[in-house]
Amino acid sequence: MTTATRTPSIASLPPAAKAVALPALLVVIWQVWALTLPENSPAPAPAKVVASFVALTASGDLIWSTLQSLGRVVAGFGIAMVCGIGLGVLMGSSRVVRENLDPIVESFRPIAPMAILPIAILWFGTGTPAALTIVAYAAFFPLLVNTVYGVSRVDRQLVRAAQTMGIGRLRTVFAVIVPAAVPSVLLGSRLAMGVAWTAIIAAELAVGAKSGSGGSGGIGNMMFIFYAYSVDLNGIVVCMIVVGVIALLIDRLFRAAEHRLLPWRT
Amino acid sequence: MTVESMPSTTKPKLRLKNVSKEFVAKRTGQRTLAVSDFSLDVRPGEFLCVVGPSGCGKSTVLNMIAGLDQPTNGSIVMDGQPVTGPGAERGVMFQDYALFPWKSVRDNVGFGLKHGTPGNGMSAVARSKRVDHFVNMVGLKGAETKFPHQLSGGMRQRVALARLLANGPEILLMDEPLGALDAQTRMVLQVELLRIWGEAADHGERKTVIFITHGIDEAVFLADRVVVMSSHPGRVNAVIDIDIPRPRTEHVRSEPRFGQLTEEIWSLIRDEAYQAIA
Repeated sequence: MTTATRTPSIASLPPAAKAVALPALLVVIWQVWALTLPENSPAPAPAKVVASFVALTASGDLIWSTLQSLGRVVAGFGIAMVCGIGLGVLMGSSRVVRENLDPIVESFRPIAPMAILPIAILWFGTGTPAALTIVAYAAFFPLLVNTVYGVSRVDRQLVRAAQTMGIGRLRTVFAVIVPAAVPSVLLGSRLAMGVAWTAIIAAELAVGAKSGSGGSGGIGNMMFIFYAYSVDLNGIVVCMIVVGVIALLIDRLFRAAEHRLLPWRT
Repeated sequence: MTVESMPSTTKPKLRLKNVSKEFVAKRTGQRTLAVSDFSLDVRPGEFLCVVGPSGCGKSTVLNMIAGLDQPTNGSIVMDGQPVTGPGAERGVMFQDYALFPWKSVRDNVGFGLKHGTPGNGMSAVARSKRVDHFVNMVGLKGAETKFPHQLSGGMRQRVALARLLANGPEILLMDEPLGALDAQTRMVLQVELLRIWGEAADHGERKTVIFITHGIDEAVFLADRVVVMSSHPGRVNAVIDIDIPRPRTEHVRSEPRFGQLTEEIWSLIRDEAYQAIA
């Protein structure tokens, strides 16, 4: 009896391998294509990108810029959390407040963070305060909207149950309404962090356009310098990859936190 | 011919006098009379069941006694004091249990003790002991750290009962607490409910219970008296004394008297029940 050698199919690979297989294939194709180009071509190639990554990491530039951007996101996100959740609880628990503020919120919400950049730069200059304003603005709306939703949709029966246990109004807010709204607030936080990270890169790029190489730093500003001054496409690709990986890590971190903080769900 | 019930001259625990409730639809302004001219004296320590066709206003009456809804007319008086709002002396067990999904079984049972008036002046140790006591009483030992979503319907019902009892109310208001359970679980829990209520204990030890159900046999099995309501608008049709001696066991269900009483109540509701589905 002869056993036929089975050709390994993609379907039989473990999930992790499947996730890597296609990107790896694309990188190989990209590298092969790059080898056909002349040596002094500015087009990015995987090998050059890796070399650029190593050099930028060794010099500390990449890490410093990334930390700078992350620091701004965390600070801007913090401001947005205080304002967004605070106002959200107020709007969610009082119909009067909600009905009065809703038109204002809904008319600002569609204005992209980048669209307030001109005002932010004119008021705060090209430094960190302008960047923080953009990030806080971007993160504010997902936090607000989800908090309002979570608080206003709390199961009324739970509030009634609390009342029949002799629990006062204020105590009910903290013991029942706020915990019941936590899942929505966490979802809002994850979405807000995502848009905050997107906004900071765009803001730093745009601020770079205004202030040039003397910009305020951050990974977006680094990309601008590669684009406008050194014309280093490999450096830009390194920055893009770092931005993408960090976005993924942020998302996973917040998902893990949701899982950890809400053991009563699932 | 009530059995072991006190003379009717005893002061009522709760008195509803000409209570009516009208709901006004916000958009259309349409008025619906849900409960009309409802009068009833509830005796201390009695187990009172309320039955009636769907939509007869049973839950509305219970919510008004709980203080969650205000009557449009009439008065509700408990121990001589008018009821004006919710209070821990009138505990409610809701039809859907209203457990806090983010709290474990233990923390649900102890919720009122921790945040509400029932825990006033109680030390943390005393509270914890009280929670243990009621967790054990309803047979939830070993499930203390579970969350509501991890429990079966019957176990959730036990959590809700333990939480109600832990708050130590004088009147237990129960809104179809066994309605969502399968028939077998319901019968087991009926017997257990009577045990926990203190059927075997002295009459003076028992809590006053107002229990809403759509099960006529359930009402006959549990109650000292059954209030039969009719609908459109909701009002008292009849009050039936259940003269089956306590403590009651499973055998009661096969006794002729049980069947007679069930039939008597059903005959009061039958016409409306048929009309409702016609």
